[in-house]
Amino acid sequence: MGDNMSVERRTVLKAVGASLTTLGLAATTGCGGGSGSGDGTVTIRYAWWGGEPRAIAIKKTIALFEKKFPKIKVKPEFTDYEAFWEKFQTQASGGNPPDVFQNSVTFLRKYDKRGVLMDLKTQADAGNLSLDNFRNGVLSAGQADGKQLGIPVGANTMALVIDLKAFEKAGVKPKFGWTWDEYFDALQTIQDKLKIAGDTGYFSIMYLYDLYLRQNGKAFYTDSDLGFTEDDLTQWWEDGYKRVRSGLVADPKKIEQVKPKSGLSAGLAASEFTWDNFSIRYEGEGESDYGLAPIPTTDGKDTGQYLGSLMLSAFTGTKHPKEVAQFIDFMTHDPEVGKIMGYDRGILATSEQYEAFTPTDDNNKGVKAYEEEVAAAGVLGKITPHPSGADVIEAAFLRIGGEVAQGKTKPADAAKALFSEAKAAFAG
Amino acid sequence: MTTATSPAVHTANERRRTGSIAWHVGALVVLAVVLYPVIWVVGAAFKPSKDIIASLDLLPTKPVWENFSGLADGISGISISSFFVNSLTYALLAVVGVVLSSSLTAYAFTKIRFAGRNLMFTLMIGTLLLPYHVLLIPQYVMFRNLELVDTLVPLVAGKFLATEAFFVFLMVQFMRGLPRELDEAAKLDGCGHLRTYWSIVLPLCRPALITSAIFTFINAWNDFMGPLIYLNTPSKYTVSLGLMMFRDQEGIANYGGMIAMSLVALVPVIAFFMAFQRYLIDGMATSGLK
Repeated sequence: MGDNMSVERRTVLKAVGASLTTLGLAATTGCGGGSGSGDGTVTIRYAWWGGEPRAIAIKKTIALFEKKFPKIKVKPEFTDYEAFWEKFQTQASGGNPPDVFQNSVTFLRKYDKRGVLMDLKTQADAGNLSLDNFRNGVLSAGQADGKQLGIPVGANTMALVIDLKAFEKAGVKPKFGWTWDEYFDALQTIQDKLKIAGDTGYFSIMYLYDLYLRQNGKAFYTDSDLGFTEDDLTQWWEDGYKRVRSGLVADPKKIEQVKPKSGLSAGLAASEFTWDNFSIRYEGEGESDYGLAPIPTTDGKDTGQYLGSLMLSAFTGTKHPKEVAQFIDFMTHDPEVGKIMGYDRGILATSEQYEAFTPTDDNNKGVKAYEEEVAAAGVLGKITPHPSGADVIEAAFLRIGGEVAQGKTKPADAAKALFSEAKAAFAG
Repeated sequence: MTTATSPAVHTANERRRTGSIAWHVGALVVLAVVLYPVIWVVGAAFKPSKDIIASLDLLPTKPVWENFSGLADGISGISISSFFVNSLTYALLAVVGVVLSSSLTAYAFTKIRFAGRNLMFTLMIGTLLLPYHVLLIPQYVMFRNLELVDTLVPLVAGKFLATEAFFVFLMVQFMRGLPRELDEAAKLDGCGHLRTYWSIVLPLCRPALITSAIFTFINAWNDFMGPLIYLNTPSKYTVSLGLMMFRDQEGIANYGGMIAMSLVALVPVIAFFMAFQRYLIDGMATSGLK
């Protein structure tokens, strides 16, 4: 028996050896990593989310950078928005995020709390990165708790995208400083005359509710909490649901059916609130002409707007902080880069790049004119940095708001649900 | 047959026929429901990108080739074929790994008596209960420390180490059904364990091996999370990651390209299945043990 056992053990060992050999063979087929640095050349990883035009443009800017800084190689990594953040979460937890990456306001505190983001002020102080020439105070979009966690590459702001033909047919004209009452009256006229809804579902958009709150001296977030009460939100959603039932806001079931197309480009409604630089999709999807209109106000003047931004952030644990800072500096200030990128990530954030690029198509011209108008009206305020967990709350707001629209949840219960989900998100 | 009974037979035949027609019609309706999404995808692949999300027609009014010809240009500067080569490499390595390691492990569990066998078997089955997300970050940290991130190793290493408990279990069950007399005869003829495994047990297990191979291939081909987490360089992306590149939440998504590519991506899976399902039936018939 004992003899028998030892034979078996040897066989098992052999078997293990065999599988290890196969594994070794498999390993050789994968490419060996390592950022080669024999001659002082360093490699930095740069990750972003976005579509094909962005990928192609960014690759061109990288080539430009590598020509100017021959000792720095940049390895691009890109995918779409959802996949990007799913991947980033694992990378950040595993201590292996990219050296430089595209970021947005919602994620600043979340990843600062986890010690992932570099305070770029230190690099600015060291002279590797310039914080000058950012337009209309957009630099503050990258700040939280006294730290510069991101450097804006483009600025955007909320807008009302309208179906120009529908508005014209109904004879309504949006104007700067119009009030919510005037806005809803306009939607009523459209509904009466054209038999289509006015809006696609404004009350589920966190960023729009933020503007409304700001118009009334509050904001969606404080430093660590929600900046409004359950009663405020119940009221907001009750009004919204009333407008769904009266047909002023499009039937949520129909909106769901036409996805991924927007209800606006499907002709179900005549307007939709979104970020001004996202407005390009409507031209691609719909048959009508689309334009940007001002955000309605409470007092006839203040829209509560601020400049949001896509930005570049750096990993605090990067082995090459100086090179990373030089890269961000080049990407945000170099005029050639501005010319290549255009308004893909919002209106160019620095004056060097802004002046270098002149839009030629109608959509970009419209976005430029819109942001200039907003800036000239003097309504741009300072962004409230989002607390950690804001990304989860934004999604919850959209989901629960959708349930309210479909009549599945009563506004009061929905507000309660949002508050409890927010509590969990802030804690996580 | 008398004239008296003939009408009764007639109606019985008729009833049988109407029953059969109803059954066929019912089956066709179910088939249409099941096939509808497939037909929709095929139809959409020949529609202009804008029509895919706009028109409700099942088939294109005017078929176009632009979605497929667009694939030839690649996406975001990466050629489509590289996604396919990467996916095929991954899937084939996974198949080889799972088939070899799982069968070897299953052989040990069924044919060799060793201390703690039952405990280890239970533990192995227990790993099926571990959610993927629990392992994700520890595994990632481990592979990062080994500097194996951005290679295929993290994706296939586990497959070569028999961590796919389901397939091990499947093969254990299959091997338990093989008659003991066969390996006893092999032992009498002087075969060691490895020889018995390779020459006696493996050929008899063909149906189980092929089942595992087909499932592993499909799983690896469709795997999204693994490649997303471990592959960084876009030119190393698999098909499932490549498909995501057509999406664009902030601009105009290329639905035409996405659907054309998903259609093309179906081909290898179907081909693999077609090639091996023949052996599957073949294996059942020739083993003649059950």
